[in-house]
Amino acid sequence: MSDIRLEGVTKRYGPVAAADDVDLSVAQGEFVTILGPSGSGKTTLLSLIAGLNRPTAGRIFIGGRDVTEATAQERNIGLVFQSYALFPHMTVLENVLFPLGVRKIGGAAARSQALEALKLVRLDGLEGRRPSQLSGGQQQRVALARAIVFKPDILLLDEPLGALDRKLREELQVELKQLQRTLGVTTLLVTHDQEEALSLSDRIMVLNHGKTQQVAAPAEAYLKPANRFVAEFLGIANFVGLDGGRTGLVRPERVRLGPGGVNGGRPARVIEAIYLGQMVRYHLAIEGSEGAPIVAAVPFVGRAWQAGESVAVSWDAADIWPVT
Amino acid sequence: MIGGSPWTRRLLATTGVIGLVFLGVPILVVIPMSFSSAKALTFPPPSFSLRWYQAFFGDPRWMDAMWTSTLVALVASVAALLLGSLAAYGLRRGTFGGRDWAEGNFMAPLIVPTIIVAIALYLGLAKIGLLGSLAGLIVAHTLLNVPLVMMVMGVAIREFDPRIEQVAWSLGASWRYTVWKVMLPNLAPSVFAAWIFAFIGSFDEVIVTSFIAGKYDTVPKKMFNELILEVNPTITAVATLLIGLTVLALAAVTVILARAGKLKQTIV
Ligand SMILES: Nc1ncnc2c1ncn2[C@@H]1O[C@H](COP(=O)(O)OP(=O)(O)O)[C@@H](O)[C@H]1O
Ligand SMILES: [Mg+2]
Repeated sequence: MSDIRLEGVTKRYGPVAAADDVDLSVAQGEFVTILGPSGSGKTTLLSLIAGLNRPTAGRIFIGGRDVTEATAQERNIGLVFQSYALFPHMTVLENVLFPLGVRKIGGAAARSQALEALKLVRLDGLEGRRPSQLSGGQQQRVALARAIVFKPDILLLDEPLGALDRKLREELQVELKQLQRTLGVTTLLVTHDQEEALSLSDRIMVLNHGKTQQVAAPAEAYLKPANRFVAEFLGIANFVGLDGGRTGLVRPERVRLGPGGVNGGRPARVIEAIYLGQMVRYHLAIEGSEGAPIVAAVPFVGRAWQAGESVAVSWDAADIWPVT
Repeated sequence: MIGGSPWTRRLLATTGVIGLVFLGVPILVVIPMSFSSAKALTFPPPSFSLRWYQAFFGDPRWMDAMWTSTLVALVASVAALLLGSLAAYGLRRGTFGGRDWAEGNFMAPLIVPTIIVAIALYLGLAKIGLLGSLAGLIVAHTLLNVPLVMMVMGVAIREFDPRIEQVAWSLGASWRYTVWKVMLPNLAPSVFAAWIFAFIGSFDEVIVTSFIAGKYDTVPKKMFNELILEVNPTITAVATLLIGLTVLALAAVTVILARAGKLKQTIV
């Protein structure tokens, strides 16, 4: 188990900076997610830490050791890809035994270690199967078992659940989080799914065009984004005008609705009401305002407003976060 | 693809059949002729015998040619397999500049007219003193077969997820260990196919060989030279043996690639 530290890490492909002067510290045992849209440089950053790629500039430390020039083999890192990347010609057990074999661990010791790892990812009983005989979720569990069986210093996951359907993805998110906590292994996960990032991580690093936008705990990044990009990427953002021409962010959950004509709210009209189960999402046109509609997410209790109805919209001054 | 009017389709089918007949009939004629008892080439053969096979196997010059062909094909195909596979790996996985240029260079023997390659090799081998030597012949055949190997192995390597290799490295496996324990077991069918193509490619080669082999005779070179002197039915026996070898080899390739589900991708 080790911490990770990036100092001014830059990777240029010709004119493109896929990683641009990135600083990051991940504490021992921490779960950090790198979140960003496709092409923002997430995979590049992970492959630099894994040693599959060399940075153009900057240093990388794992457990305090400068590994910038170390090969992938020397870094003792568990790596999981979206495409599973299992060895197709080996059984599940042989896949998990592979890193142990490389480390000259064999025989009964290796076997029990591998079976232990398979048990941790709840795959016991399937060790004789080939990857092609497993479902996507099972294949990803094998990849996970293979990545943890040799007790790596850190765990790197590149969109590990990206290829799975929604329900399975949510199931595996919970398991992944539990596994990470059980092992206490320092983990860096990459995703473009903001829900996944918010639900799994101790902290989030938001990336755009290779540049760090913000590093913060999920709630902080959501409610107090460093800039407009983070505000919009992490969920629905209402931007409201503030004094002095500045802009403020109000999240939909912080918007209150009341019956129209009541004092203390701005009069608005419901453009659309979207029923989401526990919540109803309203798109609201503020009377006399030319701006984009305000979105409100209100718990569904009994009655919902219909499109066309008049309502009063309000929010607390404390729920406004100024953005640049 | 095979759309168009019924008329075009019929034309296409007819052309195809004519082409097949044109290619197939000589093969079908040569086989019974090789079992003929007649002294000269006649068709149909008056009666059957194995005398031309005896003539072939009993002639030390033919046996010499057979030995030369086999030796050259074995060494050159293995060398081409090694070099072509490494080149294909570097070109598919590498990110260095000038890859297209390098690939063009390796593929050249397949694209440049053979006669030009033959002359180039003649001059080149003469310069380094390998003209007319067995080593020179092997070098030439290796060069000629590298593009074939690169084509087959290039497809196979491109289809193989590079992340599988990357994971192996991250798990601590060296590059060599990864190639040996991860790549090769998965690419084995393609390796075998590439080797067969290279072996046949060398065994069949006549143009370049005629230029540079000097006193050495390979089977095709000797066939060609015999035909110029006199039409000897021994040739039909040799031809039949070559046809048999080729058919067997291609059948083996087909079976192995089909079993690996790789047939369609390789023979595009
Ligand atoms: N090998 C490469 N050569 C050139 N450009 C690359 C290479 N790898 C990535 N890039 C570029 O770097 C940027 C970031 O890519 P990537 O790290 O894969 O993003 P992400 O994983 O966030 O989708 C993209 O603009 C991509 O085109
Ligand atoms: Mg990516």
